[in-house]
Parts: sequence; C-alpha cells; structure tokens
Amino acid sequence: MEITISALKKYYGDKKILDIDGLSIEKGKITGLIGPNGSGKTTLLRIISGLDMDYAGTIKYDGSLLDEGIYKKMTLVTQKPYFFKRKVYENIEHPLKVRKVNKAVRKKKVEEIMYRFEIQDLRNKKGHLLSGGESQKVSLARALIFEPELLLLDEPTSNIDPVSIKIMEREILNFNRETKGTVLIVTHNIEQAERLCHKIIPLDGGKVVE
Amino acid sequence: MVIFIDYIAQGFKEAINLLISFDKEIYEIIFLSLFVSTSATIIASLIFIPLGIHLGIKDFRGKRVLSRILYTLMSTPSVVVGLLVAILLSRRGPFGYLDLMYTPKAMIIAQTLLVSPLILGLTYSLSKNRGKEIQKIGITLGASKLDIIILVTRELKIDLIVNIVTAFSRAISEVGAVMIVGGNIKNKTRVITTAISMMNSMGEYPMAIALGLVLLIISFGINSLIYSYSGED
Ligand SMILES: Nc1ncnc2c1ncn2[C@@H]1O[C@H](COP(=O)(O)OP(=O)(O)O)[C@@H](O)[C@H]1O
Ligand SMILES: [Mg+2]
Repeated sequence: MEITISALKKYYGDKKILDIDGLSIEKGKITGLIGPNGSGKTTLLRIISGLDMDYAGTIKYDGSLLDEGIYKKMTLVTQKPYFFKRKVYENIEHPLKVRKVNKAVRKKKVEEIMYRFEIQDLRNKKGHLLSGGESQKVSLARALIFEPELLLLDEPTSNIDPVSIKIMEREILNFNRETKGTVLIVTHNIEQAERLCHKIIPLDGGKVVE
Repeated sequence: MVIFIDYIAQGFKEAINLLISFDKEIYEIIFLSLFVSTSATIIASLIFIPLGIHLGIKDFRGKRVLSRILYTLMSTPSVVVGLLVAILLSRRGPFGYLDLMYTPKAMIIAQTLLVSPLILGLTYSLSKNRGKEIQKIGITLGASKLDIIILVTRELKIDLIVNIVTAFSRAISEVGAVMIVGGNIKNKTRVITTAISMMNSMGEYPMAIALGLVLLIISFGINSLIYSYSGED
C-alpha cells in the first residue's frame, strides 16, 4: 500500500524542474517534504494531485496509474487557497456536495469540523474575504471534511499564529490516526516536520537527496 | 432655429402622449422588440456560455488563434448577418421550405447568430483569465467536469450577467439584421429600431421620438440594474 513514483521528469521549457528516479510514499503515514525554495516541492504536489499532467514518468497509487477515480480520493491544500465567493460554511460543505452526501449528514460534518478548528465564528463570512491565517484553517477544514485517502499539504501553516498552528497540527495528526489517511506535507519548519512526520524526504534541485 | 426647437418639443409632447395613452401599435412594437432580442440572447447564452467556459479553461493548441477568430466574429456587422440568414431562409435557399422569411422566428435566428460570437467570445476570454483558478480548486476538491462548469458559472456570475446584458443591448439596438429578415411589416415584424428608421424617413417624428425614448429607457434601465447588482459583490 503506497504511492510509487518512478523516472519522474518535469520540465518548464528547457529547465529540468524535477528528476526523481524512484520514490515511494507509504500509505497511512505522514511524510514530510522539505527543501529550499524552488526545489520543486509545489510542482511535485501539483503533479500528484492531477493539476499538472504534463510530465514524463509514472506515478502509481496502490499499483494503478492515476486516474479520475483516484484523483477524487485525494486533495491538495495550496499555499494560497482559493475560496468560492460564498460563506465559509458553504465553502467547507462543497466537497461533500459534489460527492452527493445528503444535507443532514453534511450539516453535521461541517458543524463538527468548524468546532474542531475553532472557526464557528467565521461561518457566515465570505470565503474570499478571509485573512491569511483564517484561510489556511478553513482550507484545511475543507480538505479534511470528506476524509480523503491522500492529503497533500503545501506549507499549510506558514504565516499563521502559534495557536492556530497548534490546532492545525492536532487536526492533521487526528486525521491520520483516525482515518488512516496518508499525508504528504511540505514544510520549511524542521521542528514541525519532526512533530508530525513518520518520515522526511529532502528535495534539492528537483532531486531526492539520498 | 426657434421653429426647429419648437418642432422637436412638439414631437416630444406627442411622444409622451402616445406612451401614456398606451397606444396599441407602439406597445406591440416594443413587446416584439423585447421578445425577439430576449429570445435570441437566451438561446445564445444557453449554448455559448457553457461552451465558452469549457474552451476557456481547457488547454489546447491554437487557443490564441481562437481568440482572434472570435474577436473578428464579434464585430460582424448586423447587415451581414441579416444577409446571410436571408440567403439561407429565402425561397430558393437551403432552409426555404421552412417558410420562415419575414417572421419573428427569422428575426430571432438572425439575432441569435449576431450575438452568439459576442457571448462566446466574452465568456471565453473571461474564463480564460479567471476560470483556471476555479477549475483548479474544483479538481482538488473532487468536482466532475460538469461540476466545474457549474462552479465557474456561479463564481463568475456577475461578469457573465454583464456579458449577457451587453449582448442583449447589441441585439435590441441593431437594425440591419431584423430589417433584412423581418422586413418591418406592420403588426407582424416591426420592431423599435426598424420602426424608428421608417418613421424618420416618413417624417413622423412623434412616433420615432417615442420609440427612441423607450429604447433609451430600456438601455439605461438594464445598465443601472447591473450596476446596482454588481455593487453587491
Ligand atoms: N509555471 C511555471 N513556469 C515556469 N517555471 C516554473 C513554473 N512554476 C514553477 N516554476 C519553477 O519551477 C521551480 C520549482 O518551483 P516550485 O515547485 O514552486 O518550488 P518550491 O515549491 O519547492 O519552492 C522553480 O524554479 C520555479 O521558478
Ligand atoms: Mg512551493
């Protein structure tokens, strides 16, 4: 049970951005991805999540190639999350709606996750008007609401206050523990990586550092 | 000069009288205008907004060429569209058997063709610029292709409405296409613009002014409606 990446190459123009011979991410575990700016971390997450399909190499999920069904089981929390011009409540509810979860269940789940993230007071705020820190929390809540099998996090706690960081780390750990969900998290904070991750992968210049 | 102004003022007074006395002919003309242009705008929007969004967020070769073609088509003169439809619908034309020439249906067809490139082009460039980000979040949250088109429509709602109104304004104010395929037949295919142009050439200014006023009110009305609406966003 794992995600295996082999012979992955990604170019922007002539510039080679990623060059990964082999890498596997163990399922049910939290893996940290660290490395300097520009080392290709975001690019790798975009490729795994299906936002960028322009690459060479193979990525397998439990032995099968990525397809729509698999993409639907994962989600990516980006560095600058986009929110619909609707209330926070509706933004968080959205992934359940597209999965045709019934309204009563949706309500229960959204209420519960807003409580856990301590964001109930943001309920009626418009998503696109949230502050940086607020949007990071709402964005993680929106990702966790449908209990993805694979959670991809791109620097989810940069620029937010220590209390919020604590809440987010707690929820990431809870998610992994309770649902056995796999997490791949990009972070610049080594201490955070040590607090959260079972394994750390260093990336530099598009390559995995041995 | 004084006589001229007097003449205009007189025309104005009679125009107002026509409007407030609910002159049947004038209101039939107004109604037909609204009906034809609204129908054309709705048909074009239903088809070309989803298509425009789809093309706007899709990656394919020749995106830039498509933009250029659409911009060219957007400025097709209405008489040319009218002529094209007239040829197609004329007795000997490929669709002559439908017997649509000089009917409101022909006018709707012509105006639909006229505003379709406008709707498609405006939707396309809007979603090319702003739809990508919405598509991205849609994908990461598990939306299907159809979900994404709905999502983009909803997120860009205000801008899309502005585009629809732009198309409607173009339709209701054009005279070339409806004149050619409609023929300005009294009680049948006469609309505001064709009536104005006829009344003008006959020197019947009160009626022309009355209809001109109505056209102005319609334009101002929908424009101020949009502005108050987009302000909410
Ligand atoms: N759309 C793009 N076009 C060209 N180059 C890009 C693009 N996106 C990222 N890059 C380049 O790819 C490299 C890796 O970027 P990224 O994956 O964002 O790095 P990281 O997330 O590790 O900071 C950088 O050199 C960046 O400039
Ligand atoms: Mg990055």
